[in-house]
Amino acid sequence: MSSGPLAEELLSGLRRRVRRALDGEGILATKLGYNPNSSSLGVDVTFLLFGMSSIALLTPVISLLLRRSKPTPP
Amino acid sequence: MSPAARFRAEGFGGIVQLARPAALVFVDRERARSLGHEGGERWQGDASFPGTRLSAPLEAHLQLTNRCEAGCRGCYTSATPQGLPREDDEARWRENIDALAKAGVFHLALGGGESALLPWLGDVASYARERGIVPNLTTSGLYDEATLERLVGIATRFGQINVSMDGVGPIYEAVRGLDGFARADRALVALRAVHEDIGINAVLTRRSFEDLPALFAHAKRRRVSQIELLRYKPAGRGKKEYEAQRLTDAQAERLLPKVLWLAVRHRLRVRLDCSLVPFIVHHRPSARLLRWLSIYGCAGGDHLVGAKADGSLTPCSFAPTVDAKIKDLGDYWNEAEAFGAFRRWREAEAPCRSCEYLSLCRGGCRAVSLHVTGRLDAPDPECPRVRQHRLTEPQAQPARRRVPLPVLS
Repeated sequence: MSSGPLAEELLSGLRRRVRRALDGEGILATKLGYNPNSSSLGVDVTFLLFGMSSIALLTPVISLLLRRSKPTPP
Repeated sequence: MSPAARFRAEGFGGIVQLARPAALVFVDRERARSLGHEGGERWQGDASFPGTRLSAPLEAHLQLTNRCEAGCRGCYTSATPQGLPREDDEARWRENIDALAKAGVFHLALGGGESALLPWLGDVASYARERGIVPNLTTSGLYDEATLERLVGIATRFGQINVSMDGVGPIYEAVRGLDGFARADRALVALRAVHEDIGINAVLTRRSFEDLPALFAHAKRRRVSQIELLRYKPAGRGKKEYEAQRLTDAQAERLLPKVLWLAVRHRLRVRLDCSLVPFIVHHRPSARLLRWLSIYGCAGGDHLVGAKADGSLTPCSFAPTVDAKIKDLGDYWNEAEAFGAFRRWREAEAPCRSCEYLSLCRGGCRAVSLHVTGRLDAPDPECPRVRQHRLTEPQAQPARRRVPLPVLS
């Protein structure tokens, strides 16, 4: 009995998960910091300075933080 | 290893709350699953992002009291030393926080009046933490030494504290009508000595706008973590002087480049409030980027809700109250007509309905629309695109009719 297709499937799944973890795939949006202002909703606009590069700059960091915050099995 | 992050399932996937650095991260279902989360019933239907609306607000703005001894002339809540006749007490606010925790709210923004006057402020902040909600605070610093000392003692219970400071020295007085800069600055220094995440809230007026470089320089000297700039709102005592205080049209158009330049020069983080989004999109940034950074216009009744000092629910702090209390948020949230015009931004009229930023800006500030045009659902009359539209189609000129916002006093 060959384990080829199963191994290939597992590897493919693993590659997909690693890729998602590294490139930020599946991260739809972020909201940075806290808004202490009780009259309206303040949002951080500092990253507009970097244009679309902001997404490329932030996603690996957020990906890493998400993985670190993953709940550990009991 | 960081502690496990809090997760709230949404139709599109869910929201992960990170503590340090503080962030809410919106992830799709697959990403949520890979992080060990499941969505249950919320993952049965539409998975599009951002979807129709969230399952609950991200944050709640709580006016713990309408007591304040400062008497600033532009106060949007018309705060007085007596406060409201029937303000919720500590026990009631704990119940309100229970309801918000049950709904899945992540953050609180506590304000007033002046919440620092409440001897139980620290206990309420601790209680919110116990219920998994991060409390944040705005304070004026306009109180006595004993009050400041008490606030400094509880400062670390808050995620972020901002001190209201609309300008430096005489500019502060010009905006607020009282000489409070030294006391506000004293609070800023004292709080910064015990907490890293202390910032400045500054209301933009046509006078303070030109003095922003001095405010940024002062913020840098005080090593604050952020400056949050707020549009002057026609609410409470602020209505009287609205026309004289609001940004000129030219200033509104210069706002974004000016503050970004100051952010670079002073290496400071800058936040702009939701009502300023029409002036951001005027510069035509990428809509995808704005959505990715969660830069939305009017998010009242969706990303945020507010509560008055007697627990009455509002879509935002400047809006009329709805027929519900904050403790009943869970039931009210899903009502078909909940929050009225605040949720009907998709039905916007021209020129908003053809604007590529409508789903982000959502028609601008409802409080300004109501004050200037008499209608909550009218396009923000100070948006550069709306102004241009009025010039080309004069019949669309809104009557500049003053309609008082119902403000409790």
